[in-house]
Amino acid sequence: MANSIMASSKPLISLSSNQPSRVQIPKFAKLPQIPKSVSSSDLRSKALSLSSATAKSLALIAAFAPPSMAEAMEKAQLFDFNLTLPIIVVEFLFLMFALDKVYYSPLGNFMDQRDSAIKEKLASVKDTSSEVKALDEQAAAVMRAARAEIAAALNKMKKETQVEVEEKLAEGRKKVEAELQEALLSLEKQKEETIKALDSQISALSEDIVKKVLPS
Amino acid sequence: MNVLSCSINTLIKEGLYEISGVEVGQHFYWQIGGFQVHAQVLITSWVVIAILLGSAALAVRNPQTIPTGGQNFFEFVLEFIRDVSQTQIGEEYGPWVPFIGTLFLFIFVSNWSGALLPWKIIQLPQGELAAPTNDINTTVALALLTSVAYFYAGISKKGLGYFSKYIQPTPILLPINILEDFTKPLSLSFRLFGNILADELVVVVLVSLVPLVVPIPVMFLGLFTSGIQALIFATLAAAYIGESMEGHH
Repeated sequence: MANSIMASSKPLISLSSNQPSRVQIPKFAKLPQIPKSVSSSDLRSKALSLSSATAKSLALIAAFAPPSMAEAMEKAQLFDFNLTLPIIVVEFLFLMFALDKVYYSPLGNFMDQRDSAIKEKLASVKDTSSEVKALDEQAAAVMRAARAEIAAALNKMKKETQVEVEEKLAEGRKKVEAELQEALLSLEKQKEETIKALDSQISALSEDIVKKVLPS
Repeated sequence: MNVLSCSINTLIKEGLYEISGVEVGQHFYWQIGGFQVHAQVLITSWVVIAILLGSAALAVRNPQTIPTGGQNFFEFVLEFIRDVSQTQIGEEYGPWVPFIGTLFLFIFVSNWSGALLPWKIIQLPQGELAAPTNDINTTVALALLTSVAYFYAGISKKGLGYFSKYIQPTPILLPINILEDFTKPLSLSFRLFGNILADELVVVVLVSLVPLVVPIPVMFLGLFTSGIQALIFATLAAAYIGESMEGHH
């Protein structure tokens, strides 16, 4: 089957042979001029012996098909295996090796190297991230220490100032108390003096009152 | 009568000949030491190889740590290829990256070159320049290489024990398992060949019928299927290699 297909010399698109039957056979005279395709005497005898319709179509094909086409159609083959096949095989293998040398290997290696380099860099970046974390913690510790220090200093200062304030307060209070005492003392003194003065005046006053009350 | 024949003449010349201008299965032959080769396939494959090697060499010449422009694109492609191979083959995908990657890139650039490069500007005596992948020779070559690759992968991994996979679940499946080794390259090559050929045919036929606007969505669809076919081929090749390398339980 396959053999018969390959060996067939039929063109795939053949000229249609059902031409309209009203056409006469005008070109019989031309037949001898057709080169190559079929020997003219053979065709003529065939054409004469065949039924008129077939003869007409044959004649038409023969008459109107240009000679180069007829010759080409004899050779037209779809399944025509020949030396092209091994040549294509060799060409393909050559292309494969050449492309491997030019394209697949160099670019592939380059891409792989770049991939590994990127992966390495990524890994190293991950490492530094842990480093950054440690540094962060250190910074936090430093901050905490500083804060604690500051808080301690603040407390100390507060205490100191409080003591100072209390001292001053106590001092002020003492001063006030002393002043108060003094003032009280002076007040007492004044009181006594006043009473004394009053005492001396009382006698005079009482004499006055007696003089006024008692009519003399 | 004369007028009629004339109109038919023009119809055949303008219409049918134009469609046949698709030139399916026509090749531009070179003779090399008594063997015939399809020159149009070889020429376009050289262009494809030149494009691939040139652009790769240019973009990867001096790789930067921070990729820009071309290097960025090629790194993306390489990662894509590695991803595909790793998904299909597993952890030991490393040595197979060049094979899978070259399959993908060669098929992809071939397919797209068929759709995007103006090959038709260059006239050949016969046949026409098109994607290298629309020739059965190319696709079968790639598929056979895939077969060789997965046999090599399996045998290098497990030695002759690799062949015990043929009777693996049960010896009854031996014929089917052997058949698989033939269907794999067959399906790989014909899938790619058929898709690309059909795609180019559809575009050409549509262009010849409606030259404006209408073929554009089909062209985009063609670009899409071309990419998908390249991916499918590479993925399946990787899957076959991975399958032959995986340990059976």
